[in-house]
Amino acid sequence: MARDRTSPEDFARPIRRILVGGLVLVLLALFVLWRIDSPRVERFRAALIDRLVPNFDWALLPVTKAVGMIGSFQSYASLYDQNQRLREELQQMKAWKEAALQLEQQNARLLDLNQVRIDPKLTHVTGVVLADSGSPFRQSVLLNVGARDGIRDGWAAMDGIGLVGRIAGLGQRSARVILLTDANSRIPVMVQPSGQKALLSGDNLPAPPLEFVEDADLVRPGDQVVTSGDGGVLPAGLLVGQVVMGPDRRLRVRLAADYGRLEFLRVLRSHDLEPIADPGGLVAPPLPDPGLIGPLPLAPAGLAGSGASDG
Amino acid sequence: MVDLLHSTIWRHRAIFVALALALFFLRLLPLGAEPGRWPGPDLMLCLILAWVQRRPDYLPAPLIALVVLTEDFLMLRPPGLWTAIVVLATEFLRGRAALTRELSFAMEWLLIAILMTVMLLAYRLVFAIAFLPQPGFGFAMVQVLGSILSYPVVVALSRIVLGVHKPAMGEVDARGRRL
Repeated sequence: MARDRTSPEDFARPIRRILVGGLVLVLLALFVLWRIDSPRVERFRAALIDRLVPNFDWALLPVTKAVGMIGSFQSYASLYDQNQRLREELQQMKAWKEAALQLEQQNARLLDLNQVRIDPKLTHVTGVVLADSGSPFRQSVLLNVGARDGIRDGWAAMDGIGLVGRIAGLGQRSARVILLTDANSRIPVMVQPSGQKALLSGDNLPAPPLEFVEDADLVRPGDQVVTSGDGGVLPAGLLVGQVVMGPDRRLRVRLAADYGRLEFLRVLRSHDLEPIADPGGLVAPPLPDPGLIGPLPLAPAGLAGSGASDG
Repeated sequence: MVDLLHSTIWRHRAIFVALALALFFLRLLPLGAEPGRWPGPDLMLCLILAWVQRRPDYLPAPLIALVVLTEDFLMLRPPGLWTAIVVLATEFLRGRAALTRELSFAMEWLLIAILMTVMLLAYRLVFAIAFLPQPGFGFAMVQVLGSILSYPVVVALSRIVLGVHKPAMGEVDARGRRL
């Protein structure tokens, strides 16, 4: 047959219909498998991305650098103004540098005085953001550190200022961070001056809402929000952001991390966060009185006789 | 027998795969899609529907399934579901190619618009049945509207740049065989 197949009757042959039907069933079975046994399929997905995407970084970096350069060119009116502004900034920076050096010396002295040690459980691995999923529906980024660098699922990721997200999905050379604004993200937090516990759940908007606040009157916009360490999910005390009142009159958190400029992320190693399962035996259930269980002791003969005569 | 190394068909299939990889690459760039911004149009879907409407032999069903399944895995969607919906939609279009050949572009555009909306509704229906969380309906509808509006652009570019057009009556290809 020398005809190329374009006419519709060539696509309606029964065998082809059966094969395409079989293909659709296989795809739906894959979806059901994902729904039932999600970790297995997610591991496959992480392995697939691990093989494909890090090979792109030679191409991704020049493009992002070029876009960054275009952005910075567009933000200045002319080179002369830029030059003047930079000179002024340089003068200011020199003054700040002096102040910073003095503060650094003072800090070193005070640290020596206090013998302060930063919690060794919170060492970190720094990773570079390779790619993000690029869609407003899924908020996640891909890092260039993976299982071979010792990363594990569930560890927290911060940028220089505040908490950015958690590791969910690992390959050998890459790891995926689910951001706090993603719809599947739930973080236990504490609102700082009042000590209220709450849950920060993302909903694809820039300022995720606070849910399950015990007493909403004690929480005011401007309060600081940190992680509470509940349930051993994340280390405690990491800065998350500030409380704001959203336009829908809900308490939301303006995140301290700069989501528009995620470049380097620190993944905090937290090896043994033990969840507190019981109150430590402080309040024990009452032990049963051994005297009440078992045969009752026989009453003295005189009492039994008087009781029987009364009854 | 059919010359399986017919160069035009395989060249266009390779072009399709290259375009798909380019679209993945653009989606993966860390240019910071902040939450709350409107989603862009689904250009991959527009491309597939435009090519299937014009030259169905360029895109066999397994090729479409493979490309869209890879996109499912890369874009963090539940794998397999959107692929199945796209394969069913393209089979629907292929079966009706005889009826839609004579349609003007406006009617074809309307058909594609309705088809894309039905695909979105089926997708969201399965999400609701499977109790999966999903973004708001208006949000997803904006993406479908964007795809519908960019469909003519994709058709024009395919026609002008890549030469993908409906075969005219009695048209012959480069070796003199009828299309």
